[in-house]
Amino acid sequence: MRPENFGLKIGIEIHQQLEMHKLFCKCPSLVNDPNPADVFFERKLHISSGEMGTMDAAAMYEIKKGKTFYYEGCSGSSCLIEADDEPPHNANIDALKTALEIALLVNAKPVDVVQFMRKIVLDGSNTSGFQRTALIASNGFIETSKGRVGILSICLEEEAAKKINENEKSVNYRLDRLGVPLIEIATDASIKDPEHAKETASILGMILRSSGKVKRGLGTIRQDINLSIKGNPRVEIKGFQDMRSIPKIIEYEISRQEELLKKGEMLKAEVRKAEPNLTTSFQRPMPSASRMYPETDIVTIPITNELLKEIKLPELLTNKAIKLEKEFAISPQLALEIAEDETYFRLLVERFKNILPSLIAISIVEVPKEIKTRFSYNASNKEIEELLGFLDKERATKEAMMKILEDRAKGKFVNIEDYKPADENIIVKSIEKIIKDNKNLSANAIMGIVMAKYRGKIEGKKVMEMIKSSLNS
Amino acid sequence: MSVKIGDFVDIAADGSNYKGRIMPNSSKDVIFLKLESGYNVGINRNSIKSIKLAKEVKKNNIKTKKTAVEQKKGLPKIAILHTGGTLASKVDYETGGVISRFKPEELLDLFPEIREIANIKSVFISNMFSEEMRFENYAKIAKAVLKEINSGVKGIIIGHGTDTMHYTAAALSFMFEHLNVPILIVGAQRSSDRGSSDAAMNLVGAIEFINKTEFHQVAICMHESESDDNCIILPAVKTRKMHTSRRDAFKPINDNAIARVNYKTRTVEILKKIEKEKPKKNVLKIKFEEKVGILKTYPNINANIIKCYKGYKGLIIEGTGMGHMPISQGENKKIFNELKKLVKSGCIVVMTSQCIFGSVNMNVYSPGRNLLDIGIISGEDMLTETAYIKLAWLLGNYKKDIVKELIKKDIRGEIKERILPDEYLSKYDFNKGTD
Repeated sequence: MRPENFGLKIGIEIHQQLEMHKLFCKCPSLVNDPNPADVFFERKLHISSGEMGTMDAAAMYEIKKGKTFYYEGCSGSSCLIEADDEPPHNANIDALKTALEIALLVNAKPVDVVQFMRKIVLDGSNTSGFQRTALIASNGFIETSKGRVGILSICLEEEAAKKINENEKSVNYRLDRLGVPLIEIATDASIKDPEHAKETASILGMILRSSGKVKRGLGTIRQDINLSIKGNPRVEIKGFQDMRSIPKIIEYEISRQEELLKKGEMLKAEVRKAEPNLTTSFQRPMPSASRMYPETDIVTIPITNELLKEIKLPELLTNKAIKLEKEFAISPQLALEIAEDETYFRLLVERFKNILPSLIAISIVEVPKEIKTRFSYNASNKEIEELLGFLDKERATKEAMMKILEDRAKGKFVNIEDYKPADENIIVKSIEKIIKDNKNLSANAIMGIVMAKYRGKIEGKKVMEMIKSSLNS
Repeated sequence: MSVKIGDFVDIAADGSNYKGRIMPNSSKDVIFLKLESGYNVGINRNSIKSIKLAKEVKKNNIKTKKTAVEQKKGLPKIAILHTGGTLASKVDYETGGVISRFKPEELLDLFPEIREIANIKSVFISNMFSEEMRFENYAKIAKAVLKEINSGVKGIIIGHGTDTMHYTAAALSFMFEHLNVPILIVGAQRSSDRGSSDAAMNLVGAIEFINKTEFHQVAICMHESESDDNCIILPAVKTRKMHTSRRDAFKPINDNAIARVNYKTRTVEILKKIEKEKPKKNVLKIKFEEKVGILKTYPNINANIIKCYKGYKGLIIEGTGMGHMPISQGENKKIFNELKKLVKSGCIVVMTSQCIFGSVNMNVYSPGRNLLDIGIISGEDMLTETAYIKLAWLLGNYKKDIVKELIKKDIRGEIKERILPDEYLSKYDFNKGTD
């Protein structure tokens, strides 16, 4: 156990993609366009030698590599703006409003006038050679179980192009993701410990999702960790997507730094990449403020009172969940997930009156997850709705739903009618026959035989009751 | 509290405090601060409770590392003349503004790779948006070019804003009646302050072309495609800016490119025969007639517009299709009368086409023939921009009768008798460049 005062400072940054058209053009934010690429070009990025003195270390590091960048994109999801062959259009006002909404939810103060900046990025991930980013608000806070965590800044920026592959001389990028609006939230260093970092990330994620305007799924939210110990330079850790890995990453990084210090080595301010085993490796030097200058192609945007009045703050998902939990008698965890799709859930409850709302909740939240984990099968909403309709009409069970999905996942031809609930009298008769024919079978063995035939058509619990009552009679 | 641009200040405003440096774009209502994080923010002056000077800045004392300008033996000497545009601009990271850099050492700072291929002499002429160019600027540029030629250079590069680059190219073409040194006009569609700028490659392309060929006329050097692979050398009088923002905005019209310069291999691929024989002397005629205009016709055009050209010595009409104007029916008959009056008054009226591609042919339809009958001259396949510059230059230097003859004649490659099938849009695969 480390002493309290070993000077650990932890801050996190959250990057969240928004679900709306791109920040500076009307291209859809597909992120991963399924179409084959039909736009191709190659570029070099230049830098003047006279700037080396003031040139940002991170930018220099990239440019010295002198690589050629090959880009590919789809004309459905990228235009001349992504190709850096047209100046940016006005910032997506919905993205700005969402950033303001989030800013207000974390008690931050919006700036009076927003000015987009060019943050120099020379690794090719931005065709322009810079990322456009603006400070929207600062000086906020959120409440956590271990006290307040300060929010330094809320920024609105454009997402970078996605690297496809790389070799000594060149890097290949795909343009689909370039320009997708991104909200960046940075906390101060008041995070107490690794677990607290995870909690903070989780709360911020919940707040972002409360807006209902963020993308969901793998890769749509990323966390960075800022870390320093004993007054040493700050290290930034990037490149992990699962919030649950935060505490481990922090622990490992502290140990690495302590090792170095023990050996008498100096720590450097740098950006490190999280590896799959949650240790970190050097990625590039720490960027500095000198890599930012104004984006002169975009006019400054005043945050007027009129604009602020248009912003309606949503109810936080956690608050919604508490209400849902009570109203529908569901678990807190299920309620939190349902809260993200409350309208949809209520629609289903209205539609399928014969099914308990809790079962509907399970069907849309847990069933698809379970089927995916067990059979790598993606059950669509439409499919689940069809099955709920079947349950509703035939008074079928959740088991029937699972069995149908399982059979589909296995590639079997499925006729829903075959999964109708069985006549209980027939099952009772069948149980009695088994007992008669095999005198020494245990209840579990009988259960196995019956379920092999009737699984999905009757609940297991009910079958067991029947077996027990048959054995006792 | 008196604070000024560049000062470091602490500001206490409603709801938030800011520490940073005051930026030049601050106004009487808003102070823009560069924060320590690098972000700029605007703070309404009326929301500021207090503003404290943290560090006064006496003057802008940014020191840039100076690059020694050494002349390398064996490398050709090339003069770069600056007229403006984004070719030589860089960011002032202190203020965030984009500033132009013209001194030789600054140029080498901006484009370190050019020191390997040429000894550069840098000449400042002006720093203007190219749409601000007037005939007097053309004269100034031409004289500066001649001065550098006489000092003995292998070639001239003119850094120019892209908007009217093709007008200046045409002007220089006509002004130099004889020319024995190449003049390459180079611009950038993305300013050189950004990593993705096309400036460096366009400059390298022009230098390599000068170094490796016998070319001794005026040409434009820009990107061939959206890619940083090839530069294209384009004929001064047959090129037009065809896109507002793309790197490959400049395209040859009714003509083919002169050469292609590969940025990676530095090879020059000649696409069109280059005249080897050079004139002994350079002859420069810098006069232009001021009273020359361009009129684009359109449906429902009012006859009074033509009256505006009263007293003009020359007018280019950018007609529809093969060289037409509404002159035959109803209200349009007034236009015909006004045109008749204008030509009669001594104005030389030349017809070009707003189709851009293809040649004017005024014999095909009767309105065209009627326009010819009143003395309007067919501009053949000349670009409107080139025809305008040519007419103004001819009127500035020749008698009217000779002007009438020369305007129809090809004198710098501006009129081609044969337009080839591949000299049209369909040849551009916009992702791969011209072929």
